[in-house]
Amino acid sequence: MKRIAIIFIILAFLVPAVCLVAADTDENEYDEDLYGPEAPIIWEKPVRGVIFSHKRHTMEFGLDCDECHDEIFEMEAGAAEEYDDFNMEAMYDGKYCGACHDGDYAFAASSRCTTCHIGVRGVERLTGKSDDKNH
Amino acid sequence: MKLKELEQLKNEGVDHISSIERRRFLKLGFLVTGVYLGGKALSLAPLTEAQAAEVVPPKGKYSYSPHYSMVIRERLCINCELCVEACNGTNDVPSYGYRTDILERRRAIVDDKYETIFMPVLCNHCNRPPCVRVCPTTATWKDETTGIVKMNPGRCIGCKTCMTACPYNARYFKEEGRFVDKCNFCYDTLLSKGAKETACVTACPADVRVFGDLADTNSRVYELLHTPETLVWVLRPKTGALPNVYYTNA
Amino acid sequence: MNGVMDSILPRTGGLEPSTAKGINVALMFFGIFTLVGIGFGVHSLVVGHEHTFGVSREVPWGALIAAYVFFVVTSTGLCIVSSVGHVFGIENFEPIAKRAVYMSIVTIVAGFIVIAFEIENTWRMPVGNVVGANLSSNIWWMGTLYGAYLVFMIGEFILLQKDSHKKAAYFGLAGLISGIAAHSNLGAVFGLLNGRPFWHGPYMPIYFIASAALSGCVTIIFCTYIAHKVNKWQMSYDQEKAMQSVAKMAALTIAILIFFTIWKVIAGVAGHPPGKVLAMEALLNGPYSINFWVGEIAFGMLIPFIIILAVRAKNMGALFIASFCAILGIFAMRYDLVILGQVIPHYYGMDMVDYPTLFSYKPTLHELMVAASGLTFCLFFLFLGEKLFRGHVTESH
Ligand code: HEC
Ligand code: HEC
Ligand code: HEC
Repeated sequence: MKRIAIIFIILAFLVPAVCLVAADTDENEYDEDLYGPEAPIIWEKPVRGVIFSHKRHTMEFGLDCDECHDEIFEMEAGAAEEYDDFNMEAMYDGKYCGACHDGDYAFAASSRCTTCHIGVRGVERLTGKSDDKNH
Repeated sequence: MKLKELEQLKNEGVDHISSIERRRFLKLGFLVTGVYLGGKALSLAPLTEAQAAEVVPPKGKYSYSPHYSMVIRERLCINCELCVEACNGTNDVPSYGYRTDILERRRAIVDDKYETIFMPVLCNHCNRPPCVRVCPTTATWKDETTGIVKMNPGRCIGCKTCMTACPYNARYFKEEGRFVDKCNFCYDTLLSKGAKETACVTACPADVRVFGDLADTNSRVYELLHTPETLVWVLRPKTGALPNVYYTNA
Repeated sequence: MNGVMDSILPRTGGLEPSTAKGINVALMFFGIFTLVGIGFGVHSLVVGHEHTFGVSREVPWGALIAAYVFFVVTSTGLCIVSSVGHVFGIENFEPIAKRAVYMSIVTIVAGFIVIAFEIENTWRMPVGNVVGANLSSNIWWMGTLYGAYLVFMIGEFILLQKDSHKKAAYFGLAGLISGIAAHSNLGAVFGLLNGRPFWHGPYMPIYFIASAALSGCVTIIFCTYIAHKVNKWQMSYDQEKAMQSVAKMAALTIAILIFFTIWKVIAGVAGHPPGKVLAMEALLNGPYSINFWVGEIAFGMLIPFIIILAVRAKNMGALFIASFCAILGIFAMRYDLVILGQVIPHYYGMDMVDYPTLFSYKPTLHELMVAASGLTFCLFFLFLGEKLFRGHVTESH
């Protein structure tokens, strides 16, 4: 009798736990064909530490591939870096990210600088290289 | 009306004792007791300056000419660290040290999100520099014309009291040459050779750092600090060091 | 020259120093250890502190500053204790006074040795301090006054050896004044830093003087007891009486320190004063809590206080144990005071990212060796002093 009770109790904890884990993996299953590469793209030129996340733009904000590809961006990480006008000036003129980040469709490129610019510190944190200057 | 007259009378009364004399008297008194703190630290004029609500000196009350200062337009900083690189290169800063650094803050914003704020820091070239007061050998001092807090490496005994005194962590011990090194607004490397701005200012691609003479009302620093409807702040104002590096989001 | 030495170094009178081999072995050990420690110091002076010391940009003052403070506090304390008898003529204190003057010289020199290695460019000091004298710098005042203090104390000691008690008392008074001035300036070195919330305030100079008195009391009890034990001297009635008086004074200063500490803690916690409260948390239940509760409170205050009261200051062995505990506790006090003031990050309370909540500091072997050599230096000269000056006995007159 006692043993059955124990098993019952263990089960009572186990079942929801398994369900939770399952739900977790469900959410983690990110389809790169559907949403584009999962790993964020990070540019180092002209300045270090600018981030772009497919996951946020496609999966979360519901944008389609062709809103960006291949008119605004090529499907190759780092391609834009090669252009001389990959800078804020061009973005304020509606190029690159500025095509949407105009303060209307999405927040303006002339605002909230640190959302796109995670900086040297941000990159080091992402790549696991911690900045030990202050420790 | 009467009150005003009275006030004026009183003021005249105090003014009769020249401030030099008053300072000398104080100096004497404190010399005897052994706790002399320097004319600057104790004389009454800077005290009223410190009690002013504003962090920016009142118009016309600039102690130096040029009164060098820097304005940091904080929200524009993207932590690209081009300023740090430029500073290191210009001023021969070793890999283990820095004269300027970018710190990171986080602030809760609407929708359960956070925003990142990058905070450039450097020597504040304080009007009442704690590091200068504590140095036993005057190896560090406040330049009388420019207000720049300078170092004389050959005089530094390496007691590091200035490092503990600095509220801003702006100083480090430089092994090569064995002295405490710090930002001097690129005085020896650039300003004294005719340049108009510091290496970090030139290097900044986002126009975060603005450098100039606060005493010149046509300068950009003056303009930025006196723009209507803007907030200007300094770091750790309560230490009473009266920084000359100002922060704003204008 | 010989004549001068003769008049200072007694050949007869006083107590006959023991010739036991053990003492010479101990002397050798202390001497060699001191030299080795100094070797470590010279090494780090040559290669740079960056590579040998635990100090950093954020915590520029380490264990050696703590040790320096410890030694100079002890020296000032010994000077205070000696002056009770010598300068103020309270006869009860006379028998310990000569040894206290001697040890105050030894401990201040130990302090100077230790600081010489903590300061990176000691050799720039003589010229810099004169050419660049900064009268607003507490460090400058402290250094200068301690220099004068050393001269006065040596003068006092020589005059005591020559039995010129009247002149010695003047030197003693000058030493006491310069010592206290120097010492309160040392407190002000910390207390006048507006940017360091844990240190800032008038508390520091006051606390330094109060704790100096305790240091002096327990150190003289410790030294007197050891001197008698190793030389197998019988403690005279006057000497015992003096020890009792000093112990009572120690108990009183502990009571004052307890009172100070309670208010320091309350002031650091009540109303959560920014910055200060961080240090208090670190001290009360953070990384420094063992130092605080075991070192400062138990060893530094409660145990010696209870022992002294329990034996009504009468049992010499118990007083020795009490003094030893107190010395350990006092070292913890110095260490916490110096380090804790610096570990509060400059930009605390600003929601910094990737920024430590407390800076950290750990002493290295080099630092510990130099600090320890300061201790062995004191022990070496304690033992040697007993031999040379035959128990520092004051002739009654
Ligand atoms: C909001 C704009 C945007 C959208 C929408 C978008 N992308 Fe991209 N994509 C980019 C940018 C920017 C790059 C990098 C281009 C560069 O560095 O020049 C990129 C690069 C890529 C790359 C190359 C990555 C690499 O590592 O080389 C692939 C593959 C890609 N995208 C696939 C997709 C797919 C699939 C979708 C639709 C599900 C999509 N993208 C939607 C902006 C977008
Ligand atoms: C096709 C339109 C489009 C383009 C092109 C685009 N974005 Fe966005 N972006 C959006 C939208 C829509 C949002 C969500 C709305 C908002 O936050 O204003 C967004 C939000 C963001 C966010 C905020 C994400 C968050 O976590 O809140 C970042 C960062 C961002 N974009 C970076 C970039 C960068 C960098 C580029 C250029 C490489 C870029 N975007 C190009 C449409 C676009
Ligand atoms: C929508 C995303 C986004 C926002 C918002 C944004 N930037 Fe950029 N920024 C970029 C991208 C993408 C680049 C080019 C890639 C690189 O330099 O790594 C860039 C490049 C730059 C550059 C170097 C090129 C140049 O124009 O000189 C600077 C400086 C810069 N940004 C400053 C800012 C400042 C200041 C802000 C805020 C006012 C800001 N950026 C806001 C995306 C953004």
